[in-house]
Amino acid sequence: MNADSNPTSEPQIFDSLRLELRRGCLIVAVLAQLRSEHYGYTLRKALADQGLAIEESTLYPLLRRLETQKLLTSQWREEDKRNKRFYKLSAEGETILHQLLDEWNSINGSVNNILQNSDQR
Amino acid sequence: MNPNQPAADLLDRYLQAIGEHLPAATREDVLAELRANLQAQIDDREEELNRPLTAAEVAAILKEHGRPIVVAARYLPQQYLIGPAIFPYYLMTLRKAAPFAIIIIFLANCSNILFVHTMPELIAGIFRALGQLIPDLIFFAAWLTAAFVIAEYVFSHNHAKPFSDSWDPAKLPAVKPQFKGKSRASRIADLIFHCCWILYVLAIPGHPFLVLGPGEIALRAFPVTLAPAWQTFYVLLLVLLAFQLITKIIALNATYDRSQAALDLVTKLFGMATTAYLVTMKAYFVPTGPSANLTMLANVNHWIGISFRIVLVITLIDFLVEAWKLLRPSISSRSLVF
Repeated sequence: MNADSNPTSEPQIFDSLRLELRRGCLIVAVLAQLRSEHYGYTLRKALADQGLAIEESTLYPLLRRLETQKLLTSQWREEDKRNKRFYKLSAEGETILHQLLDEWNSINGSVNNILQNSDQR
Repeated sequence: MNPNQPAADLLDRYLQAIGEHLPAATREDVLAELRANLQAQIDDREEELNRPLTAAEVAAILKEHGRPIVVAARYLPQQYLIGPAIFPYYLMTLRKAAPFAIIIIFLANCSNILFVHTMPELIAGIFRALGQLIPDLIFFAAWLTAAFVIAEYVFSHNHAKPFSDSWDPAKLPAVKPQFKGKSRASRIADLIFHCCWILYVLAIPGHPFLVLGPGEIALRAFPVTLAPAWQTFYVLLLVLLAFQLITKIIALNATYDRSQAALDLVTKLFGMATTAYLVTMKAYFVPTGPSANLTMLANVNHWIGISFRIVLVITLIDFLVEAWKLLRPSISSRSLVF
């Protein structure tokens, strides 16, 4: 369908592309933030405080998936008289995070180069 | 919303609703974690407001968290009947097999028109065959889908790759030449040939041997002759040829486009109607004297009728294929099942 014929298609395309762009970035951010221990709610707050808001319904299942992949470790512990599940980056997670950050920096550098070159033309 | 409804009750009900969609193995753990997180969020908000939250405020937090079935679904492994590794092959098989399925199913459904004798019965038979095509095709697609669902299950449970990664670009088919329609020389030749064909048909009544060949002399020895209904067929044939002549003249100076294809389709439809008339003829040869072998004549008429019915089915399939080719560019690819 021609995008011009549908005024709602442009925001929809942006939302969909934004979602794709954010998906990988969120994982890097979550892994990096979990270098210090957090439970779900405080992790979400910490990310939001640094400008990376993430829905609970996305974050909490993501934590479980990363734990299943052995990138995180978790333990139930009592805090403020309530039982909470605390997550922390595992040794394996630290290695993967390093690799992801290298990849991130490489992509970032390439995109910047492309943008600079296209600006000069 | 009932303002007196306890806030804690809402959280319990929300978690219960999520739990209904979670597998038993992880349900308790997931719900305990969700409770801790949601409770922490509620506590945080209460600390901010310096008072307990109302039921409406708790409801707003839960609503923001998401619909129970959607929240639960995010804790489940990604589910699909046919995965992305197999899906392109499924789609390709469906696309390639569909035309054959249509032809086979249609031929099978057309078998009943071999035994009809009147035009209304014939038309009804064709429409019945066309009507039956859709449910039969759905049935065919369902079976094919089921086969691929089983393949997906088998491959994913054995952690096997469904198709080999090795392929050779050199074995790809050659680039197809772009269809640009017939050349002008070819169209002129086509027109000349058609004019000759019309002259030939016009000459037939005065010279029956042009159609029957030596059989015309043999026919004279038997007390049989062509049925009078052939005269009506002859008129229909001339109309068809005249119509084709007009289309060929138009095509002479036009590039082949969709309007030309549509005109070809109308010609085919006309041809089909003429064949349909042949099918409905009660007899093709009639006796001219009492000495005719009526049993043999009935057999000859019967088998000629059968052969015209077969021709009709083939022309109908050809018409449907051409109509599909013509209509396909107008149908959005998204609206197509395959």
